[in-house]
Amino acid sequence: MTSHDDISPDDMHWLSRKLLWVEKPGAGKRVLIVLLAICAVLALADFAYHKHAYFHIEEIPFIYAVYGFVSYATVIFLAKGLRLIIRRPEDYYAQDSTEVEDERPAGSDPSTLIPGSLSDRANRPGGISGGGSAHE
Amino acid sequence: MNEVLLPPLIYGLGAISIPFLPAGKLRQALMLAVPVLAFALIGNLPYGDYAVFNAAGLHIGLLRIDALSWIFALIFSIAAFISLLYAWHVDDRVQQVTTLLYAGSAIGAVFAADLVSLFVFWEGTAIASVFLIWARRTEGSYRTGMRYLVIQVFSGVLLLAGTVLMYRDTGSVAFNAMTLGSTATWCIFIAFGVKCAFPLLHNWLQDSYPAATITGTVTLSAFTTKLAVYALARGFPGTELLIYIGAVMTLFPVFFAAIENNLRRVLAYSLNNQLGFMVVGIGIGTPLALNGTVAHAFCHILYKALLFMSMGAVMYRTGTSKASELGGLYKSMPFTMVFCIIGAMSISAFPLFSGFVSKSLILSASADNGYFFIWLALITASVGVLEHSGIKIPYFTFFAHDNGWRVKEAPVHMLLAMGIAAAFCVGIGVFPGLLYQYLPYKMEAYVPYTTTHVVTQLQLLIFAGLAFALLIRYRLYPAEIRAVNLDTDWIYRRMLPIIVGFFAAMIGTIWKAAGQLTQYYVTSLIRGIYATHGPHGPLARTWPSGSMVLWVAVILGMTVLLTYV
Repeated sequence: MTSHDDISPDDMHWLSRKLLWVEKPGAGKRVLIVLLAICAVLALADFAYHKHAYFHIEEIPFIYAVYGFVSYATVIFLAKGLRLIIRRPEDYYAQDSTEVEDERPAGSDPSTLIPGSLSDRANRPGGISGGGSAHE
Repeated sequence: MNEVLLPPLIYGLGAISIPFLPAGKLRQALMLAVPVLAFALIGNLPYGDYAVFNAAGLHIGLLRIDALSWIFALIFSIAAFISLLYAWHVDDRVQQVTTLLYAGSAIGAVFAADLVSLFVFWEGTAIASVFLIWARRTEGSYRTGMRYLVIQVFSGVLLLAGTVLMYRDTGSVAFNAMTLGSTATWCIFIAFGVKCAFPLLHNWLQDSYPAATITGTVTLSAFTTKLAVYALARGFPGTELLIYIGAVMTLFPVFFAAIENNLRRVLAYSLNNQLGFMVVGIGIGTPLALNGTVAHAFCHILYKALLFMSMGAVMYRTGTSKASELGGLYKSMPFTMVFCIIGAMSISAFPLFSGFVSKSLILSASADNGYFFIWLALITASVGVLEHSGIKIPYFTFFAHDNGWRVKEAPVHMLLAMGIAAAFCVGIGVFPGLLYQYLPYKMEAYVPYTTTHVVTQLQLLIFAGLAFALLIRYRLYPAEIRAVNLDTDWIYRRMLPIIVGFFAAMIGTIWKAAGQLTQYYVTSLIRGIYATHGPHGPLARTWPSGSMVLWVAVILGMTVLLTYV
């Protein structure tokens, strides 16, 4: 069992090592810039070919781009509104659901196993999920 | 030509032999052989009806092989194989037996040529599958399984009622295309609708799938709902009502999925949304649309299983599938991450992935037939799919905030199962002809990769991705919080118990009051009788015999007097 800090890049899989840049400061900005560049190319591609549209509305330049962006944002904001109405504490259905059965308390150390949880039983021979080890 | 070994029989024999085999590689290998063998035996038979007989005056057909049932049997066999391989490590006879029975029932239902055998296999899937939820062996999973079972059996009972009415109306139980109208067809339609998770009938899906075991959820995701899609495609093609039901189905789960914390439940909402696309295709009912439905069901089973498998692998290693607890797993589970992203890109319909080549058929069919608003709804829902399955699932599991998980990569057999599913996703995406050649209805050659399709789809998806990046950057994206969200299941989990409880209390009070009132009257009646007839009552006094003689003399005297005067 190891904790958060003591894993060195050398111990990681090469695939993981290649992705370590995502945690560097400024990575988010770089992703955004690349994404913006791709978006610009895609948007301009509208002028580079003849669009075979089913409906007239499709012939408006950039319509798909604008629609994708706007509908995504709309979905998110509507969902946030919905959450205000339908959100309940995790133990709302308590014994009637599996929602809090196998989980550790929020914010607790992920390296500790909850007794009786799925991952704990997975470690026991003949446990519910066989003999897998949940943690290193 | 009745001497055919039926696929459900092979699954049944496999299931029966499992308890007698020692745990280990032999048993697992035998289980893997079952779907391969079952399909190999019937896969090459010429189309037609086999195993036809008369039972109690009913015309029963157990094995109708045509283009539609063949391709569903094929994908169900592939799904059974993949989920059994994924469950290689599971040493639980209950799950092994029921997985085989469940897959066997689903394939049996696909081949059923009459409503009676359809009903038998339909209930078979319900009863076998609930054990995959109970196999978690907790109080919560037991109760969730009960709710699941009640609803599934309700669907079966409706199907039976419809079958009986159908037999009374037409004298036949053949399972062919129907038109909505009579009570019989409505019963059957709603029975299919419950299993297909129509809006307002949907919530059993999101309630139960995340409660099943890690491997059980993968199995569950493949069969029940797609069996319902098959049944609708067989029974109600071109029913216009389905277009609108499907459109609603694609849209509403999107909002629930966006704020759901349990990622396996997010996938269940996403499953619901994908079913919507298929239902729209059935409703349009042209060959192109129906082929779109079949193709989408085929691809969907694979990429949905892939996504459930990757979340299952994460849960197997970490014990949770909640977005708020996960993050940063790219460091520990890179292969699972790659497979998850392949599944995510397939479901989001990125060009070169399977979802693109199947969803395009349905979108083109809706546009060809002039359903502008339906087409718009499907486009909007596609953005929604990208949101919850394409971005949210991989991002919050493998990236986002590193929650400190340092776990092993998924076991080899899980990676292998995910690898096979991922290979199908990419293979079909790159070579759509591989899938198109098996589609059941005759249509003009369809080309998914036109410049317009590719560019517009990429614009839609990448700009939606840009919206995501901006929302995350400016902290507007809804945070992952440990919470549950209410859905229609609240009605039967909370509201109805409260109403029933209220009436029970009210009736209890009335009963008690009535009891007290009765007791009061009975008591006063007894008191009255006691007063007159009790030990000191006038009527219970001991009378001396002299007074009786006196009274007799008086009465005698009166009689004499009255007689002679």
